[in-house]
Amino acid sequence: MQTEALLTNAPAAASMRPPSRPSLSVSIRRVPTVLLVVYTLLLGLGLGLGSAYWAVNGDPPFGSLRLGPWKAWPKLGAPEADPYMRAIIAQRSDVPLATGEGLGFTASMDNDGRPLDSACSYTLGPVAPIARVWTLTLYDQAGRLPATTLGRKSFTSAEVLRDTQDRFSIALSREAQPGNWLQLPSGGPFTIALRLYDPPGAGAANLEKSDFPVIQRLECGT
Amino acid sequence: MRGFGRFVVATLSGLVIAVGVHIAAILASPYLAEQDAFAKVQSTLTADKAQIIAPAGGENTWLPRPDPAVAVATCAFDLRNGPMRITAQTGSLPLSFSFHKETGGVFFAVTDRAAVRGELEIVAMTARQLDEARAAEDENDPSRDVRIVAPELQGFVIVRVVAPAPSLRPQAEDLAKAVSCTAEQDG
Repeated sequence: MQTEALLTNAPAAASMRPPSRPSLSVSIRRVPTVLLVVYTLLLGLGLGLGSAYWAVNGDPPFGSLRLGPWKAWPKLGAPEADPYMRAIIAQRSDVPLATGEGLGFTASMDNDGRPLDSACSYTLGPVAPIARVWTLTLYDQAGRLPATTLGRKSFTSAEVLRDTQDRFSIALSREAQPGNWLQLPSGGPFTIALRLYDPPGAGAANLEKSDFPVIQRLECGT
Repeated sequence: MRGFGRFVVATLSGLVIAVGVHIAAILASPYLAEQDAFAKVQSTLTADKAQIIAPAGGENTWLPRPDPAVAVATCAFDLRNGPMRITAQTGSLPLSFSFHKETGGVFFAVTDRAAVRGELEIVAMTARQLDEARAAEDENDPSRDVRIVAPELQGFVIVRVVAPAPSLRPQAEDLAKAVSCTAEQDG
């Protein structure tokens, strides 16, 4: 009981033992100060480094351009890229497309905002932004090209079959489809990258949502 | 209550320090990164020709999210050896150069639309080397080089050649490999 009282109500316990009061009050004041300084430093280092690590392993927090499901960071390949972009490029050992060279968009959702899942089938079309060449590539969640039995992982603007109005439709599914077909990986989420090489105008300035292909989910298997 | 107040002050100080540490870590990480693209292209520093780092097809490369339709080659440069001249013979396939700093970030990019008579030639140099080149120039016969000033002494050039169809991939790779990057000794 005595020790419990000391722990929970130290000043009250100390008043019962007058001789020991000075040393106790000194020790109470000094130890917490040191502990508080250590706590402050650890909190600062832990939170600072932790949040930096988290930020560097994610997407750049600022400067994104969203056009429907398509997302890009036009400044990623520009001299005025912000410090987060530089840190993320270094971390990924990536070489982004430079402004003037092209622009890369990615989509991880369909046009209704549902995550892309390889258990479903999708159609993608009918238009794409004007560029000298565009390429459309599938990646798995880890950013690798998916291994499929078909072997085709991408379409370019030159390969895709179009109708008489110059529109196209690309089927994304696991089972074979007529026309333009990209086989989805065997499972899990995937992302689509649309890269515009040598687009006219100043980078992303003239792009609009209606220029981009619509990603429409058709049906989902089990 | 006083102890709680001290705890609050300590927590707030910790948060302020955390903000500082966060900013410092983000700003420092491109300089400290040992596995960034610049580190991985250092082996190409002495080569006279651009080296393929991502062949068309997207296999066998350290580049994240490679585009299978593009052949990517690179030359590292160190301007302490003199200005670097990079030359490509352009063909029918889209070709582009982008110039990257050691610490990440692009400082210049150009596509083969800027090519003159089927040749795209850029000279990267420091501000001082540019002054020297201008001073040494014959006024009646000015150089026609396209000169760009690099903000850092070290960096690398990325050459991208797009193959719109799989049958053009070998051609794209040949085009990318044929790009020459040489240090000019006259400086």
